[in-house]
Amino acid sequence: MASPILQVRHLKTHFPTHQGTVRAVDDVSFELYPGETLGIVGESGSGKSITALSLLRLVPDPGRIVGGEIIFKNDDIMKMSGEDVRELRGRDIAMIFQDPQSSLNPVLKVGYQIDEAMISHGRPRSEARTRTIELLKRVRIPAAESRVNDFPHQLSGGMRQRAMIAMGLANAPQILIADEPTTALDVTVQAQILELLGDLNRELGTAIVMITHNMGVVAGLCTRVIVMYAGRIVEQGPVDTIFENPQHPYTWSLLRSVPRVDALRHDRLRSIEGIAPDLLRPPKGCRFHPRCPFRIEKCYTDEPELMNVAPDDLAACWVTMDRARKEMNADAITDIRPGAGSGYHRGEVG
Amino acid sequence: MSAEPAVAQPAPQPGTAQSLVRVEGVVKHFPAGFGTSVKAVDGVSFEIREGETLGLVGESGCGKSTLARLITQLVPVTAGRVYLGDVELTKLRGEKLRQQRRQLQMIFQDPFASLDPRMTVGDIIAEPLDNFGVMRGKKRNERVQELLRIVGLNPNFNNRYPHEFSGGQRQRIGIARALALNPKLVVCDEAISALDVSIQAQIVNLLEDLQQQFKLTYLFIAHDLSVVRHISDRVMVMYLGKIVEVADSASIYGDPKHPYTKALLSAIPVPDPKIQRGRRLVELSGEIPSPIHPPSGCRFHTRCPIAHIPTPCADAEPPLEEKVSAHLAACHFWRDV
Repeated sequence: MASPILQVRHLKTHFPTHQGTVRAVDDVSFELYPGETLGIVGESGSGKSITALSLLRLVPDPGRIVGGEIIFKNDDIMKMSGEDVRELRGRDIAMIFQDPQSSLNPVLKVGYQIDEAMISHGRPRSEARTRTIELLKRVRIPAAESRVNDFPHQLSGGMRQRAMIAMGLANAPQILIADEPTTALDVTVQAQILELLGDLNRELGTAIVMITHNMGVVAGLCTRVIVMYAGRIVEQGPVDTIFENPQHPYTWSLLRSVPRVDALRHDRLRSIEGIAPDLLRPPKGCRFHPRCPFRIEKCYTDEPELMNVAPDDLAACWVTMDRARKEMNADAITDIRPGAGSGYHRGEVG
Repeated sequence: MSAEPAVAQPAPQPGTAQSLVRVEGVVKHFPAGFGTSVKAVDGVSFEIREGETLGLVGESGCGKSTLARLITQLVPVTAGRVYLGDVELTKLRGEKLRQQRRQLQMIFQDPFASLDPRMTVGDIIAEPLDNFGVMRGKKRNERVQELLRIVGLNPNFNNRYPHEFSGGQRQRIGIARALALNPKLVVCDEAISALDVSIQAQIVNLLEDLQQQFKLTYLFIAHDLSVVRHISDRVMVMYLGKIVEVADSASIYGDPKHPYTKALLSAIPVPDPKIQRGRRLVELSGEIPSPIHPPSGCRFHTRCPIAHIPTPCADAEPPLEEKVSAHLAACHFWRDV
């Protein structure tokens, strides 16, 4: 494989609050390769969005990146000057957000805002407009020549997200980070935006980091996936491997708890009992153990690191699903209750 | 004011089960200034059968939440009738309507906005009891604790405040409040959309258990078609203020008879990369038109992949009719879907 374009090593982003420190991202390491599509999935509070914001040093106050390296090509973004990071944003790594309404300035015309994205990176104003129209066509906004003169409120939600993608692509960045770009959109529009992102990835070779809570979105767009839980990566690998044979009980549970539009009506959804942990006081040992059906004694005390559990699959789990299937009859479990498979309940440890 | 007279309103199909709610030719227009109006719901007729879960899907702006508010009489109808059993709700006012509302409860989307932050959980759940003066003192408090237990919360939480709970727990509190008066119909308006996926499954399972236990009837409104498929006995699809298709869950998902339904289904991503890569998106051209000036004829014709324009799709509105047994659709070319 080619060398990675982005390497994140031991990233830690913490939020000091008056109740203590929230470890939103707690020792996260991964790589992004040129031209690939990487999904980062997790539920709210898993740290996926803060990870994305950390990559561009855009963590909101009072959050601070307290440790780690973010190597883009050969430079550590963490060590760059403020000026250099500003240059890098938009030029090398661009980002689009969930809510295109609040990412666009409501009193400036859409075309002007996209022009500015290029002018601020040194492109002459005379060339900018031609490129803006070209970009709007590329993201399939009809009548692009006249749409450049629209204000954001004159565009529909889907069109605004397309305009944001056009702006993100304005300086031909090597990486596009998309933070839940389709969550606020209707399903039909979501499908169009995902298709567009896939096409742009293939045609322009822009690497895409897709932050989402929707496993279906990852399945359609991404080649590799990272699953986050409570500020840490619990599993990562190629989508085909992870979706077919997940090794971390959290990934496994997540895939089983979502109803599928292509499946027959089940009698019951297999829900994951319990709630995500409080990041002020994350559980000792494995952070998923209070909800895990397959926990063993070690899970209460020792935090597992990401390790190779299959040739392509990294998971942070002492048990892993292969063993849970063999020894704990995992596939027969209907309710994903804490300790359901292992018979190892909290009361049993001292 | 009323729905186009040229289009016959199909009478609700007599079902096998008794109908709990009947909606006949209901219209809701909101004034939009300059003499125009938003035609949020524009002539819909259907029934909700006792004990069933009727799913209602459609994109934002199709009128599904307005329809929920019309059934619960939170907004008055512009035209048409809503019956609860034999009682015509649309004729009732004041105290008589209030008494009927005991039978109709709602669970809302946002578990943060729908609970008063300054009331204890016990008072929130007991508010319907207090409103109707059904229970007082010790009995009231026992009922609150019972309801907390029913929705899977610790009964001793009644003195806590909403901010002490997670989103999923708050939604359970909202469910407990909805059940306090033993209603017949519970309208779930995007009740699980704001929750994390692992929590969604808990709430869906809870709703299903409660339905069995208390013989509840649900109108389940959601934009997530996968969840609707899971929970619903029958599914109704809306587009721009009209019902375009109604059928039991298996046939609507397995064999849709309206091109809009088909497009919606194709747009839902499936969490399986091998299947998802092979699926074909039925792309809809353009965007959802304005409900102030809905398109002529079939409202879907401007985006429809199989429309015959102009005749008949742009000039004749297809009626919602039974195409095959118990499967209603409003499309001139339903055979081509």
